[in-house]
Amino acid sequence: MSPADATHTVAQRDWQAAARRSLWRRRLGMWSLVFFLIVVSLPIMLPYFWMLTISVSARTGGADTIVLWKACAVLVPAVIGVVLTRTMMPPGGQRNLAGLAVIAIAAITGVVLIGPDLHANNYRFLWNPNIVEEIRGSSGAGGDQFPWVWTAFTNSLIFAVANTVVVLTVSTLAGYYISRFAFAGRATFLQSLLVLHAFPAMTLIIPIFLIMHWAGLLDTISGVILVVVTLELPFSIFIMKGFFDAVPWDIEMSAMTDGASRRQAFVQVILPQVKVGMLAVGVFSFLKGWEEYVFVRTLLFEKSNWMMSLYLFWVSDDLMGVDYGIVAAVGVFYVLPSLLLYVTCQKYLVQMTIGGIKG
Amino acid sequence: MARVELKQVTKAWGDVVAVEPTDLVIENGEFVAVLGPSGCGKSTTLFMLAGIYAPTSGAILFDGHEMNAVEPKDRNIGIVFQSYALYPHMNVRDNIAFPLKFQKLPKSEAIARAEDVARLVHVDELLDRKPSQLSGGQQQRVALARALVKQPNLLLLDEPLSNLDATLRLTMRTEIKALQKRTGITTILVTHDQLEATTMADRIICMSRGRIEQIGTPEDFYSRPASLFVAKFIGSPPLNLVEGTGREGRFQTGGASLRLGSDQGAPPEGGIVAGLRPEMLTFGPEGIAGEIVAIEPMGRETLYILDTDLGGLRVLESRPDRTHTVGQKVHVSFDAAETVLFDAATETRIAGAWVAV
Repeated sequence: MSPADATHTVAQRDWQAAARRSLWRRRLGMWSLVFFLIVVSLPIMLPYFWMLTISVSARTGGADTIVLWKACAVLVPAVIGVVLTRTMMPPGGQRNLAGLAVIAIAAITGVVLIGPDLHANNYRFLWNPNIVEEIRGSSGAGGDQFPWVWTAFTNSLIFAVANTVVVLTVSTLAGYYISRFAFAGRATFLQSLLVLHAFPAMTLIIPIFLIMHWAGLLDTISGVILVVVTLELPFSIFIMKGFFDAVPWDIEMSAMTDGASRRQAFVQVILPQVKVGMLAVGVFSFLKGWEEYVFVRTLLFEKSNWMMSLYLFWVSDDLMGVDYGIVAAVGVFYVLPSLLLYVTCQKYLVQMTIGGIKG
Repeated sequence: MARVELKQVTKAWGDVVAVEPTDLVIENGEFVAVLGPSGCGKSTTLFMLAGIYAPTSGAILFDGHEMNAVEPKDRNIGIVFQSYALYPHMNVRDNIAFPLKFQKLPKSEAIARAEDVARLVHVDELLDRKPSQLSGGQQQRVALARALVKQPNLLLLDEPLSNLDATLRLTMRTEIKALQKRTGITTILVTHDQLEATTMADRIICMSRGRIEQIGTPEDFYSRPASLFVAKFIGSPPLNLVEGTGREGRFQTGGASLRLGSDQGAPPEGGIVAGLRPEMLTFGPEGIAGEIVAIEPMGRETLYILDTDLGGLRVLESRPDRTHTVGQKVHVSFDAAETVLFDAATETRIAGAWVAV
């Protein structure tokens, strides 16, 4: 064996060892990361998971946790199995196949174990206008005070959409103006925007109640919209101003020398640059409107004015301990729209940093 | 095409005066460079022409019509910004066609015209790309195409080459100049680069601190700089400036005395600054005595830094090899006709005056 061969084989052995070590280090890193993420997300995931399983399985009215545990017994090994195939096997068709096999086994076991327990009966509030009365009987506390869930749903939708439209329009126009024009008191205005945001809105609840009363807007949806929009605006304006600040001044001037009027330049050239900001402000104000509880609770009384948050509150107030299944089902129904919205828009939302567009 | 006229135009931001009262005429089809250091008011003047800034006083006229109250969109001006200001959300074709949107042209004709202009500046291969997918030079061409597509009366270029690398700058310089000659559009180029101004423009306007220092051809600037400021700003390497006093036909400075004269009457008296161009100084058997302290080879030319009786002098020899060495004692002489003299107090040129060894 020549010396050259010897060094060659030594080098080869070292490379292989290094590659193995690196592989294990990567796997270890991956495992600890996955473990950490599971541990921190469990407290967030479990309640939602509980809500979902209870809503589709509870029969007796009590909180049957047996389905939850059965589901966990199927899901946990499945998740571990998929993670193991992802980390232990080399990428390629075989790994995908193994992953699919694990998922298929889990699905079959799930259907066999849990399938018979599932039913949609807890969702009957969707087609039964007076569910509480049915459960508790007309003698039940507040039984006949309940509106149909779709009334609350429509109200919430109107409320959230109106909130979005008004906040988006006002904050876009105001943000543009503050970003582009100098006017007396501009700095003070900007500072007060931030102070207003820092001010906890709850402290205003009694004065707002009185103002609404004097203005004759108490117990009207438009009144609550006005209140929530007002409280929402300072921060939204501030965010939009940041987005407009990031748009170079020359683009606008260029559009105007190219023959656009100020409004055309704004609509055709400036607005497309702040799309992400508008989307973020829009989504956040929709979610804010959808989940609003405090002002809805304080300023609305008529059951025809109820929102989803109030509906959920009264359902759980009246039925907790009697029928967990329905409470959970209402919860799922309430969460779905915001979940849908967030999932469709999250690609754009993660691009947002306050004051600009990230890479 | 337009003849541009400025009548006593000023611009002030509060108490800060950006442009002093300025009178200026730019003829139809001319290529004019506005040259000056940053903050001299050249961009402000450009933006006043574009209508982005309104003049504080005075009148701007295109072909004799006052433009002060006319909005930017109605002035029919093409402008290329230093940052190019392309619209990031539109592809190249839409960027170039954007100005035609407001001229009520049929869509197909607008696209056709945009593509014609794109071919003119060699970006017809890139029509479907977004500005972020273009290199600096390509963005520059697209910006130029967008400025040209509406066949403007006036083309304004605000430091269009300053964001390009050196080789590209050279190419674009030639291309823009050729394009201007071909289209015949009155063009105003704003730049702080004297080389850009002298190579591209028919006429140069040199500005400093809001005032026009000199208007003239590149040759005027080279042989007859109107002021000390212009003399310092134009020429690379810059003029050698020697301070001294004139008395009875002699120019007295530190350790030397030169002959002082004038083609127009008596030789000047008092504080004088003499300008000696590095390339007109020659080594010889006699002249001003000095010693070479440094040599800077510049490729085709060689620059010698001298310590002489007149103070520090730069001598430029148009040959790549070194004829002298550091530390060597030399004599330099020059032709009196090529010297320029300035009044030290007013900093303006004294016409006809000269110095000689």
